[in-house]
Parts: sequence; structure tokens; C-alpha cells
Amino acid sequence: MTETIETRLLGRTVSFDLSGPWLAYWLVIMRVVAGWWLLHAGLDKLMNWPFDASWFVGGQAAGTSLGPFVTMFGDGIGLAFTNAAVPIGQFLIGLGLIVGALTRTAAFFGAFLMMFFYFINGETGGWSHGLVTGELLGIVIFGMIATLGAGRVLGVDAYLERSGYVDRYPRLRYFIG
Amino acid sequence: MSELTTSDRIAMYAGGGLLLVGVVLIGFLDMVFGAGHPVSGEGQIVHEALIPVTYRSYIILAGLLIMGLYAVYRVLATSPGSPGAGGRRSPSTDSGD
Repeated sequence: MTETIETRLLGRTVSFDLSGPWLAYWLVIMRVVAGWWLLHAGLDKLMNWPFDASWFVGGQAAGTSLGPFVTMFGDGIGLAFTNAAVPIGQFLIGLGLIVGALTRTAAFFGAFLMMFFYFINGETGGWSHGLVTGELLGIVIFGMIATLGAGRVLGVDAYLERSGYVDRYPRLRYFIG
Repeated sequence: MSELTTSDRIAMYAGGGLLLVGVVLIGFLDMVFGAGHPVSGEGQIVHEALIPVTYRSYIILAGLLIMGLYAVYRVLATSPGSPGAGGRRSPSTDSGD
């Protein structure tokens, strides 16, 4: 089954064929692999509780481009929030991606989280392995998952999208998909 | 063929453009006109950057922020009656049951 995509980009008409089954297949592969990446990271921290992010948000982040924002979470209630939000967030993002539930929400927050890792790890490490790192590729993958609505392929979002509730509140399609 | 709105264009061209400038274009210029990039024994690239890496990371950050703000804007700007919010339905939902 071949689908033809026809659109305009940079003022030019763009037309190309896509293999429907292969596109669907890779959407699932991409979602599950990226999902396991974060689910594993979250589970690892939750199973070895307590998790302490102070070395990252309080120490390593200082002096980086995101430092002024991130170091606000370096102690007190901000740090307590971070210590809980990072593992729980990673767990939920990973789970959402794997089962395809609230996929666009999961992908958005996955990219959001990865942005901190990308800049703080990169800048403190002097970008010693170049500017294209696993974290940047993660951001790109999350962007693709959100754009293509990958949760609609063999995912819970396919069922959610069919529900009348989503028809009544179309804004919800930006959260699922 | 879907039409792009102004916000789509800003996200695509400004957001994606800054990302590509920061990652690819400056990287290419750095490679061609900058100092060498010898790889150390630990596999690390010893940087003598033509354009400071800090500037590159700021450019990339600006691109990513534009894309993130665009995503938030799309959600907030969608009117409740809009049937096509979030893109058209997937083929699987049309033929599923």
C-alpha cells in the first residue's frame, strides 16, 4: 500500500510516495525504542530511591546557558520537586510512548526534559563529542513522534481518538495522537 | 495539500532554521575554515572552534525554544469548534471498526 504525500515546502510543490506499512512499522519501532529509553531511566531511579538531582541542578548546571533557570531548583522545595518530577516524569513519558497513550504530551515533555540534559551535559563536557549527541537526536525523535502522531498506530490513542469526548473537545488531539 | 499558517512558517523556518544553522552550518564552517579537530586518546574532540561553541548552543537553544513555544501556541490557539485540531485522523481510526 503506497500513500502519496503532496504538499508545498519552501515555495515548492513536494510530492513523494510512502509505503504505508513501513511507515506504520517505523512509527511503532521509534515510539517503543524512545519509550524504553525514558522508561528505563525512570524505573532505574524509582527502584533505587531516593534520587538526588542536586549534583545536576545545583552544581553541574551552574554556569551553563540554562543555569539561571535550572539552579532555582538546586535546593529546598525546588530540589524536592525535581527529585520527584524527573524519575516520575521519565517513567510516565516512557510508559506513554510505549503504550501510545497521550503520545504527543509524552513526546513534548520528553523533548523538554532532553533539552536540559542536552545543554547542561554538552556545555559542561565542552561538547567534546560534537554538538550532535544522543540527547539532540532524542529531541528530534520526540519531535517526529509528536508531528506524526505515532500513538495512533497500535496505541491507546487510536481508541481515545475515536471517542466522542475527543470530538467534542478537538484541542485534546494535540495531547493524544 | 494543507496550507501553512504564519505560526507554522515561523516554527518551521525560524525554529528549524536556527537548529540547522547551529548544528550543521556552523559545524561545516568550523570544519572547513576553523582549526583542526584532533581526536584525543579518550575519543574526545579537542575543540579550537572558529565560532565559540557557546554561541552555537545559544542558537540551537533559540531554535528549540521557538518550536516549543509553537507547540504550546497551537494548543492554546485552537478554537473548541475546530474539527481538524491536531491533524487529520489516522487511516486506522477510519477503518478500524
